[in-house]
Amino acid sequence: MSDVLAPTEILALANILDELDYYQVLHIRPDASASAVRSAFHQSSRAFHPDSNRHLDADHRQAIGRISKRITEAYTVLRDPRRRRAYDEALRGGRTRMQIAEAEAGARQQATDELEGKTPNGRRYSAMARTDVARGDLAAAVRNLQTALTFEPANAHFKTKLQELKGQLEEERRKKRPAPF
Amino acid sequence: MAEVAIGIDLGTSNSCVAIARPDGVEVIPNAFGENTSASVVAFHEGGKITVGNAAKAQIIHSPGRTVYSSKRLIGRYFFSEEVKKAQAICSYRIVEGPNHSVRLQVADQQYSLPEISAMILREMKQVAEAHLGHEVTKAVVTVPAYFNDNQRQATKDAGRIAGLEVLRILNEPTAAALSYGFGKGLTQKVAVYDLGGGTFDISVLEIGTDVFEVLSTCGDTFLGGDDFDDRLIDLLADEFSRTHGVNLRKDPFAFEKLKVAAETAKKNLSIDDEVEIRIPDIAKNDAGESLSLERQVAHDEFASLVMDLVMRTFKVCDEALQQANLTVRDLDGVILVGGPTRLPLIRSAVGDYFQKVPKTDVDPDEVVAMGASIHASSLIQPEQNAFLLDVTPLSLRIGVAGGLAETVIERNTPVPIEQTRTFTTFQDYQERVKIRVYQGESRQAEENELLGQFEFAGFRKARRGEVEIDVTFAIDSDGLVKVTACDRATGQQASTEITLSSGLSDEEIENIIERGDTERVHTPSLDDSAELPVPAPTPPPVAAAAPPPAASEPPPPVAAAAPVAQAATPPAGPAGDEIVTLDEPGDDLADDDELELVAGVETPPAEMHKQALEVEDEGAPEDPVPLEGRPAPETPAVEPSAPTAEASEPVESLAGDDVTEEYLGEAGTDLSQYYDDSEKS
Repeated sequence: MSDVLAPTEILALANILDELDYYQVLHIRPDASASAVRSAFHQSSRAFHPDSNRHLDADHRQAIGRISKRITEAYTVLRDPRRRRAYDEALRGGRTRMQIAEAEAGARQQATDELEGKTPNGRRYSAMARTDVARGDLAAAVRNLQTALTFEPANAHFKTKLQELKGQLEEERRKKRPAPF
Repeated sequence: MAEVAIGIDLGTSNSCVAIARPDGVEVIPNAFGENTSASVVAFHEGGKITVGNAAKAQIIHSPGRTVYSSKRLIGRYFFSEEVKKAQAICSYRIVEGPNHSVRLQVADQQYSLPEISAMILREMKQVAEAHLGHEVTKAVVTVPAYFNDNQRQATKDAGRIAGLEVLRILNEPTAAALSYGFGKGLTQKVAVYDLGGGTFDISVLEIGTDVFEVLSTCGDTFLGGDDFDDRLIDLLADEFSRTHGVNLRKDPFAFEKLKVAAETAKKNLSIDDEVEIRIPDIAKNDAGESLSLERQVAHDEFASLVMDLVMRTFKVCDEALQQANLTVRDLDGVILVGGPTRLPLIRSAVGDYFQKVPKTDVDPDEVVAMGASIHASSLIQPEQNAFLLDVTPLSLRIGVAGGLAETVIERNTPVPIEQTRTFTTFQDYQERVKIRVYQGESRQAEENELLGQFEFAGFRKARRGEVEIDVTFAIDSDGLVKVTACDRATGQQASTEITLSSGLSDEEIENIIERGDTERVHTPSLDDSAELPVPAPTPPPVAAAAPPPAASEPPPPVAAAAPVAQAATPPAGPAGDEIVTLDEPGDDLADDDELELVAGVETPPAEMHKQALEVEDEGAPEDPVPLEGRPAPETPAVEPSAPTAEASEPVESLAGDDVTEEYLGEAGTDLSQYYDDSEKS
């Protein structure tokens, strides 16, 4: 983003703010890296920070205030990979703006979904698998988690957990096997 | 002459003023050649007021007329813990003012805390003016990063009373980082460990070539060098009581002597391994014999007295690093701020914790004022700026049903920022809601600091859950908070905006300025030992004095409210149509449900209905509990697919206080638990 905007451009930008998504607010591509997000935040803040615009009149300062607050909001959501994922999902649904608390809750929900499943059956079988692990029945745990995966084939956490359990099960079996001569 | 702006570090124990000029930053010494002045205000017989180290010497002679450590009280409510603690140990009188504010009673006059701070600021302003040879009207004033909005507002008011335009309220650790890194072209991550007289702050910053981004800040406003003194005082007083059967705490003169001795001993322990405390004739025993206090204190013994306090600071550091998502290994340096960090025990403990030798090239007593002056100069000359991106240290919350407080802006969110959340009514055909604004980290409303409350009325009357009220919280670059409420469904602009008050109304501030007490601050000057023109002390004002006909220059107008008939009414009353009441904070939560807000809809206006259409077939893990005899609210409020925990079961939220509490209680981190339970059942 260029360093200084003409006063009319400032007002125009403030007016269309709600139509811009966070990537557009920060002038970055949707696949921008974390460090690109950060340096874009610094650049945009520099241009629109209330401190560097004290000489403008009240209308323009108010517009700048709106823009700078939106820049901070965009950064606060996009800098956190979890929140960013939640936002991206909302963005695909046509929303440009998301309150930070909402992004955070969304991120937590995604994490919970990932950890425990997001379908009723996925949750049910993964919970059973956890109970199996707790009572030491690894074979049953593997069976239950495999079942859970059939309901949620894309769940990465289920996959890694299943690999882990299979490894443990294999290990256990090796130990139980009588040592060969 | 070019415009100038100074930087003032308004400390709990000491204050310091500096100016940044193209050729460098200069700390401005007072007439005695001292770079820092004690933040002590002495009220002399006859009306003269002095500030600084000479005033501090007055504590022993007239403890009741000498005010120190007042920063611990600024912006606090009279019923707060800190005020109670101060009442127990301070030798000046702390009394209650209007709206639960704190006032200091000195002889026959009461002073608000901003007035006391204003006297210190006035002194620093006059020190700068004497040195520079011209008037100074602009300043950046620093506060502990962990100061809440009430404390910041009060500090800003103090500046106004002192005749200063406060360009910015700047966080002390941020100022220190600025002083450390400005103009050096660094790219570093640093921690600022700021142990002051009364507060502890830690900030983690990333310094770029021209940008200072605060990643996180945490603090403890109940922990400082004074607490170290207290430990030593306790030790000495207890020993004295055991040996001589005399309680020094009961004798204000003896106790002040003990305090001075303890503080001096602590300071000397920064240099020497062992110090001797000797107070001759400190008290008399029952037989009338004069007693003296003598005691050797070794650095190690002192260390063992305070080590738990030091460890408490590291708990706070852990939290700050976690919030910044960093470990000590990611840091390039640690900057020490505050007098107590001179103690070898602090330096070595900090070195151990951060696994690196702390930076000590800048004087820890001056680094904050220097940073403030750098920022002051870049604010008046925007072309040569290093700009600051700071965060809000405390979560901003809104009171909801069940005595709880919902987060609207989480702590360590960068500022300036604005966030809106939508709330709904709690009762059918409710006409008004009371919006309570809190700052703090507890879900229990009363455990947070109440910033203020206001009533919002005039929205559409409807069944409960049908009215949607957008409450917008904005934090500006000073860290100051503004709250707006607005009924969005009707499209009617019935919004009320308030700037939360420090307890002093504009009118009160104007009266204080007119009374001109801070102008009695007498600053000695080197060149002319003759008295500076000090206005004759004004007589103590009658409760509602009429303004003098030739009103001096009015202060800059704040907010609106047409000039109300001067002080004829008690200043506590709300001005004009603003409804700002601060009565009975904390304890009137359950007084009438009618005014409660319930968190309901989480989504911003435009998206809400869109969201409502995306309801998954799954539904909530448990069926919403129908309300006895009442229709469940319409979709927008029920809204099962909203991605927040709260929104997944809003119907329950409306069922009653206890249920609400339960459902709100899970909004935080306990989701997993929830799902587990529902599966088992």
